[in-house]
Amino acid sequence: MKDAVYVLGGEQTDFQRNWTKEGKTFMSLFREAVQDGLEKVGLTPDEIKKLNKQNRIGVFVGNFDGEQYAVQGHLGAFLTEVDPCFYGVPGARYEAACASGSVALDAAQTKLRSKDYDVAIVVGMEIMKTVSSSVGGDFLGTAAYYEKEAKGVQFPFPKLFGKLADVLLERYKLDEKRYMGALAEISRINYANAKRNPKAQTRSWFMNKEHANTRGGEFNMAVGGRLAITDCSQVTDGAALVVLANKNYAEEFAKKKGTKLSAYPKIKGWGHRVAPITFEAKVAESKGDKWVLPWTRQTVKDAYDRSGLNTKDIDVFETHDCFTSSEYAAISAFGITQPGKEHEAIEDGVIDFTGKKPINPSGGLIGAGHPVGASGVRMMLDIYKQVTGTAGDYQVEGAKNGLMLNIGGSATTNYVFVVGK
Amino acid sequence: MREIKTVTVLGANGTMGAGSAAIVAAFGKAKVHMLARDVNKAKEGIEKAISSIKTDTIRPRLIPGSYDQDLEKAVSESDWVFELVAESYEVKEPINKRIAKARKPGTIVSTVSSGLSIARLADAFDEDGKKHYYGTHFFNPPYKMILCELVTHAGNDKKVTKKLGEYLAKTLGRAVVYTNDTPAFAGNRIGFQLINEAAIKAEEYSDKGGIALIDAIMSGYTGRAMAPLDTADFVGLDVHKAIVDNLYEMTKDAAHSTFKLPGYFQKLIDRGDLGRKSGQGLYKMTKTPEGKKEKLYYDIKGDLFVPVPKFDIPFIKEANRRMGEADYIGAMNIVKEAKGLEADIARYFIARYVSYSLSLVGEVVETKEMTDLAMGTGFNWAPASAFVDFLGGPKEAISLITKAKLPVPEILAKAKAGKPFYQLKDILDARSLFKG
Repeated sequence: MKDAVYVLGGEQTDFQRNWTKEGKTFMSLFREAVQDGLEKVGLTPDEIKKLNKQNRIGVFVGNFDGEQYAVQGHLGAFLTEVDPCFYGVPGARYEAACASGSVALDAAQTKLRSKDYDVAIVVGMEIMKTVSSSVGGDFLGTAAYYEKEAKGVQFPFPKLFGKLADVLLERYKLDEKRYMGALAEISRINYANAKRNPKAQTRSWFMNKEHANTRGGEFNMAVGGRLAITDCSQVTDGAALVVLANKNYAEEFAKKKGTKLSAYPKIKGWGHRVAPITFEAKVAESKGDKWVLPWTRQTVKDAYDRSGLNTKDIDVFETHDCFTSSEYAAISAFGITQPGKEHEAIEDGVIDFTGKKPINPSGGLIGAGHPVGASGVRMMLDIYKQVTGTAGDYQVEGAKNGLMLNIGGSATTNYVFVVGK
Repeated sequence: MREIKTVTVLGANGTMGAGSAAIVAAFGKAKVHMLARDVNKAKEGIEKAISSIKTDTIRPRLIPGSYDQDLEKAVSESDWVFELVAESYEVKEPINKRIAKARKPGTIVSTVSSGLSIARLADAFDEDGKKHYYGTHFFNPPYKMILCELVTHAGNDKKVTKKLGEYLAKTLGRAVVYTNDTPAFAGNRIGFQLINEAAIKAEEYSDKGGIALIDAIMSGYTGRAMAPLDTADFVGLDVHKAIVDNLYEMTKDAAHSTFKLPGYFQKLIDRGDLGRKSGQGLYKMTKTPEGKKEKLYYDIKGDLFVPVPKFDIPFIKEANRRMGEADYIGAMNIVKEAKGLEADIARYFIARYVSYSLSLVGEVVETKEMTDLAMGTGFNWAPASAFVDFLGGPKEAISLITKAKLPVPEILAKAKAGKPFYQLKDILDARSLFKG
């Protein structure tokens, strides 16, 4: 891809926090995420003002459902409440369910490649603890075809991804015990990884494979067919920010920081595909295909093609494990195994933290937490950290290229970014 | 230090014992001998342990037993003996003698005493036993409160201490605070200083709202989810008394007089009003004739319970509002500039908390990060160093402390301006502890 887009860095909030319990507003989450992120990158309010005068900067806010959870929309403009340096800065909110962060990233990179702007501040955010889990579950139902798939259904998404688990099992004629054990191992890995991540929601929660395998009991209730609580990511409050720049600014920034342009990783490839929105249509369409989620696979392929890289070149993955079944399907979408053989990679430790193809060293959505509109940006931040060697205790040794997969709905909106130096 | 595969928990039926056993069995995957006065009590402890951490998978690893029947055998096969029996030398020392006889060389023995001398308790052991004897002060409830104060004494081996600290942190997921063998260690010394002084001030201002007024002043914007006197009521006035009496007797620092238990606390304890656990203490919940829940507080002068009033204190409202908007410095500026008695009290206690927390560096802990971590993870109170930053830095904090006529800790006096004073940002986001 021509016209490189560089990632200058960013920050996320502590996903363990419950902002409602803290008596804090939606704006507070926005304010802390933006202030922390800009401070970490080293982009000052004065610099933002200067860039804005030259019409070189834009803001892209990923958010799924501020209206329902926080009774607040118009988030591109709402940013002006965070700091007066954003007065006049072009900003807008981008929405694609759980892929909202990625659609904001994509809009940002497009503006940078076209040189409309030189710098893009991308913020993903969601506040979700304002309502009970059943009300929140209903809100999340709007990421599916609400009338057909969610209306009157308690916790629609665990049920949809429970169906995915069923389809995978049936399509590939898998041994049920072995398959469910592999899903439990996915939980174990994500929780174990989250223990190393100081911003992860579950960093002090207990989990092991034995517990993840006790589905249906008092302490691990079934919530969606075969799937139990331990198979689900937990919603939370959180935000993440990354700053992207094109070469025009990245060079200027590197000079200012006394470093080289090569210190910053680039977005090497990306993919964006939309599958049929209902799960039923997805399954019907994929019959006879090698992959149950062919559009997810296609998105990964698009990103590989654009980057000129392939599975063998990717050292670390961040995937959208909203449920264990989605991470399971992603393994073959990444090309780590053939479809139907994902459990082998799981059992052999391939995707574990020290494995050959580690997935979710951050803990992923299951371990790190899933503030819906923030997840895509958080993944980009984590891939940035990995390829710059700044992931601290959850650093994958020697990671040069990373790939993130962020999906909205029941694998409906698919986004992939490949980032590396 | 050898690998911890088998653990004996003494006092396994209490909330702390059962909760700690659950942590060891779940995170540490250890087999745990759950010992209590009798085996039925131990079995109750097993149920408590399972429900505290919400996993039945630890059940096969929890083995019930009694002190009379099982102590020696359990201890002899354990890598760690974790003692949580009653908080007195009279109870702990005879048990320690039995542990000392049964223990194999290399076995760690630790106590969760919150106030007794670890060195004195270690005396029951031979040289190897002394070397392996520690305070491991967990907080209640252990699954939620991740602090563990690892208390050392002169007889410990630094290599063993390091390994044990790593085990507690990495395997059991504790926030480990290394403290010296000093009364009440770090968390309780700081926490109960503030609580007891709040209780003293409540008496001083009993005609202005007393207990309810002090708690209203020390609400969310001062960095705590639960106000201090409400906390005393929650932990129990008898437990509070045990801790502050010990501190009054054993310490002679600049806050010494503030550890004296107020007379009305003793009065309430004497008549069995121990706090939430006995139905009433400093507070009492009741129902109005209309059936609505109502919170009453103990009116010290009148010796009766009266409804908690809705105080209208403008600076608190404004400080809370600013906290709610993540304007931490703005909120502290409101507190710094507000006029009136309530503002004077708020400033005094913030100054006292910062001054006292940081004054323990050197005596109780090595670094200020240790007191910050202790208060943040053991009490859910905003750490002192975070206050320093939100007050505007060391100079502003010193000014507040000086105006309150309190000692300026050396570490604060030596601090450089322009650098964040709080250094645990990537471990504990202190902002999360300030409530709007």
